[in-house]
Amino acid sequence: MADQVYFENLSVGQELPPIKIAPDKQQLVKFAAGSGDFNPLHFDENFPLLKPMGLTENIVHGRFKYAQVGRLVFALAGYKGRVKKFGVSYRGMDMLNKEITAGGVVTAKRQEGGENLVDLDVWTMDVEGKKTTPGTATVALPSRR
Amino acid sequence: MADEFEITDEMRAQIGVDSEPWTYEVTTTSVRMYARGIGTEDPIHYDVDFAKSQGFRSIVAPLGYLGTPVYLPGQNDPTFGFPRRAGGPRLNIPMKGLLDGGTETEYLDVICAGDVLVETSHLADLKLRDSARGKMLFITNESVYKNKETGQVVAKQRLTSIHY
Amino acid sequence: MAQVHFEDVKEGDEIPQLKKNCSTQQLVLWAAGSGDFYQIHYDKDFAQATGLKGLIVHGALKNAFLGQLLHDWIGEAGQVRRFGCSYRGMDEPNQDILCRGVVTKKYSEGGKHFVELDVWTEKPDGKKTSPGTALVTLPSKN
Repeated sequence: MADQVYFENLSVGQELPPIKIAPDKQQLVKFAAGSGDFNPLHFDENFPLLKPMGLTENIVHGRFKYAQVGRLVFALAGYKGRVKKFGVSYRGMDMLNKEITAGGVVTAKRQEGGENLVDLDVWTMDVEGKKTTPGTATVALPSRR
Repeated sequence: MADEFEITDEMRAQIGVDSEPWTYEVTTTSVRMYARGIGTEDPIHYDVDFAKSQGFRSIVAPLGYLGTPVYLPGQNDPTFGFPRRAGGPRLNIPMKGLLDGGTETEYLDVICAGDVLVETSHLADLKLRDSARGKMLFITNESVYKNKETGQVVAKQRLTSIHY
Repeated sequence: MAQVHFEDVKEGDEIPQLKKNCSTQQLVLWAAGSGDFYQIHYDKDFAQATGLKGLIVHGALKNAFLGQLLHDWIGEAGQVRRFGCSYRGMDEPNQDILCRGVVTKKYSEGGKHFVELDVWTEKPDGKKTSPGTALVTLPSKN
């Protein structure tokens, strides 16, 4: 686990170190197991809904991408920080075996209710650079003071 | 007909009406499976002794995981696992297509293995938009999760689904 | 089902059959429940790369089906002491798997009433894919 990030260490406009993952079928089956979403859309290449959706490959669960953004902000918060809120919209589909990059940028720093808060734009991006899962997050960080 | 669909006052009246509560369990096994499912290797999600050494009650639930709903055959959806329960909104949706629209989670506390949560959900928003696909209905449900032991709200989640 | 008793059973009796048919979703549910994420059970390309024709059902899942066969028969007052099978033949998803059992022996010992069975899973053509045995105890009417 990386060193704890402190409120003073971050500046507005700073980008977070990205998290990359290219989920294969086994990963999506493990996600089905962990999340309880057993929709065959994500692991059965013969699933009847694929064709009407114009798909030739199984697609990644939206919530899997959300979880990658979750990993990103959890890593930022560290064990001493706390993620207050994070949310995304599912704007595009991501395919099996294609790399997904979770990224974020600091948009504001503020103090509220005795906490040091950092606001971020967050997203997952596909291999073509399209932000298929855009969103925002707020993280409380410890202060060195 | 989906194309003639309109949001009625009767539907809007269901906004804020709480469902019956349902129990969600956060166990060491379920936290580890979710963590494996998302591809993280942070020991805080796997190693109980390590998590305790860092000041947590037990291993920490990865963000977005708020426990697994108790599954009772006939009472939960067999594919998605969510409870079909009494109370909460009843909307007659004619559209056949369904997509995940968005997810937002707000945390008031850290969720760890060993926590038993009680969740209630209510309809939070309804929006109808026209698109190339025809009418698209955006339904947002909000779920509130309370720790069963303390009664405190620990998390809230807003889920948006798109019906087209 | 009414509770079956030791006196109701005789050697050669077949117990009620259990028919299964695994969807691909069922195989993924089993992976989740068992923790066995071997790809030959849900990734056709992977399965074929190992020389298989296509997806196959986990052996342990068929073993579990035989467990269910016995559990359903013995009722709440019965107990399964031991059961096992060999995975001799492969079963595939979306095909009937018939679970069957036949009583081979019954005896009383130490105040308990034992029933031995042959159990197995069978393909639609009758081929036995997972032959095995089981030992259960049943309550007595006396």
